[in-house]
Amino acid sequence: MSFLKYPFWEVVKHAFSKEVWDTVFPAVWDTLYMVALSAVITLVLGILLGIGLSVISKDGVRPVPVLNETAGTIVNCLRSLPSMIMIIVTLPLARALLGQSYGSNACIIALAASCIPMYARLVQGAFVEIPKGKIEAAKAMGSSSAAIVFHIMLPEAIPSIIRGFTVALIGIISMTALAGNFGAGGIGDIAVRFGFNRFYHDMLIASVLVLIVMVQVAQLAGDLISNLILRKRHLI
Amino acid sequence: MGAYIRTENLYKSFYNKKEKNDVLKGIDLSIDKGDIYGIVGFSGAGKSTLVRCINRLEEPDSGKVWIGDTEITALNKKQLAERRKKIGMVFQQFNLFDSMTVFQNIAYPLKLVKTPKKEIEAKVDKLLKLVGLSDKKYAYPGSLSGGQKQRVGIARALANDPDVLLSDEATSALDPQSTLSILDLLEQVNKELGVTIIMITHELEAAKRICSKVAVLENGSITESGKTSDIFLDPKSSTGKIFLEVYKEFRHDDTFTGGGGI
Ligand SMILES: Nc1ncnc2c1ncn2[C@@H]1O[C@H](COP(=O)(O)OP(=O)(O)OP(=O)(O)O)[C@@H](O)[C@H]1O
Ligand SMILES: [Mg+2]
Repeated sequence: MSFLKYPFWEVVKHAFSKEVWDTVFPAVWDTLYMVALSAVITLVLGILLGIGLSVISKDGVRPVPVLNETAGTIVNCLRSLPSMIMIIVTLPLARALLGQSYGSNACIIALAASCIPMYARLVQGAFVEIPKGKIEAAKAMGSSSAAIVFHIMLPEAIPSIIRGFTVALIGIISMTALAGNFGAGGIGDIAVRFGFNRFYHDMLIASVLVLIVMVQVAQLAGDLISNLILRKRHLI
Repeated sequence: MGAYIRTENLYKSFYNKKEKNDVLKGIDLSIDKGDIYGIVGFSGAGKSTLVRCINRLEEPDSGKVWIGDTEITALNKKQLAERRKKIGMVFQQFNLFDSMTVFQNIAYPLKLVKTPKKEIEAKVDKLLKLVGLSDKKYAYPGSLSGGQKQRVGIARALANDPDVLLSDEATSALDPQSTLSILDLLEQVNKELGVTIIMITHELEAAKRICSKVAVLENGSITESGKTSDIFLDPKSSTGKIFLEVYKEFRHDDTFTGGGGI
């Protein structure tokens, strides 16, 4: 149903009809699959990269200036590409790795390449926020670098790391929607193929609703978990 | 008794942009085993830098640091980490780990040396009793008062039975009552466990209360040192004189002196 042919409220009402959701619902699953997989990859590799960047940075526990500069530059380069460009750039990579440059899995490569560096920087930021004195206290006790990273820095920063992950997750959701345009399927694909190309505005409304709900859930869950931890530690 | 902690001609400068800031200018210290040794001086005199050079949180530019028969300044990274396990440090800002309970904070240094679980439990309970916080065992530092936090800090610093305790303004963030109780705790630790304590302070009151000897640090040099009573009866250095004057001004205020007196 299009706004061009039908009254506004008719279209809105139809956005909740079975007919619309029969098409939208499978796409939701596609999107959730891509988001979930990209999220897990981003979480794990982003934290690892974030730790690495912090450890070798100038004020880190094991500074390695040359590597720090190099890694920093690479991360910044990856981060300077807008999502759409990153998708286009990684398509050949997807073809090389997966044998195809369309579909959900191909899109996940672009998502990871874009979101891992972004999340790594957020993780690094979370570490920088740890008061220097705590790290020094750990050093003064004779902690190894590994002990400082895994027993002090990571647990101390975990609420901020979770908050950062919420930001990354929302970025992943929006990028997944965009990737729909490039053969990844999912909710973004519905929005463009039906909502934009064919003026099925009821489907467009349904797609928008799905995205809003996903982002809200991500934000609420992230805030909830990080606040629970902070409250347990009596920090809020 | 011969000197247990010694520094020999310690120099340290910091660079702000191109400007050189000489913070320590040839510090010679000699501290006997079992002493509570005070280092007093104004803000920026270099007190923190000096004490941080002793466990090499700050690397001195030149000079030597000895503790017992070990030349601290000659240790490599690994040996230094090993030695640090026996040097406790207490901080003005406590520096407790917010992610750990009181128990876990105190247990952390013990875990570093792979102490068996049962021993950790017993040791932490003993330390909690010493610092009077047995009822806070499973509390998080975030829920403690400043004085309680510092007690945890002291317990944590003592966990591995250190022979040396470095205290950098341990009471400066506390109210007068907590200050007194922390000072008494440090004195108790010194008497009962025989730990040699280096105590940095800018509160003359604190130094007078528990330090057997003090050194006055002024602009990166030690201008006088000796028995606490001697120095503050008749200070020779300008810093010492100002300290005493300020102290006399303030001792009319009862809460501040807290019964310490001259
Ligand atoms: N990491 C650093 N980098 C640059 N300058 C430093 C550093 N640490 C200390 N300084 C400088 O060294 C001087 C002495 O500092 P220090 O912290 O040792 O003084 P302090 O006697 O402990 O003072 P306070 O009583 O305020 O703690 C100051 O001028 C300070 O700015
Ligand atoms: Mg200081």
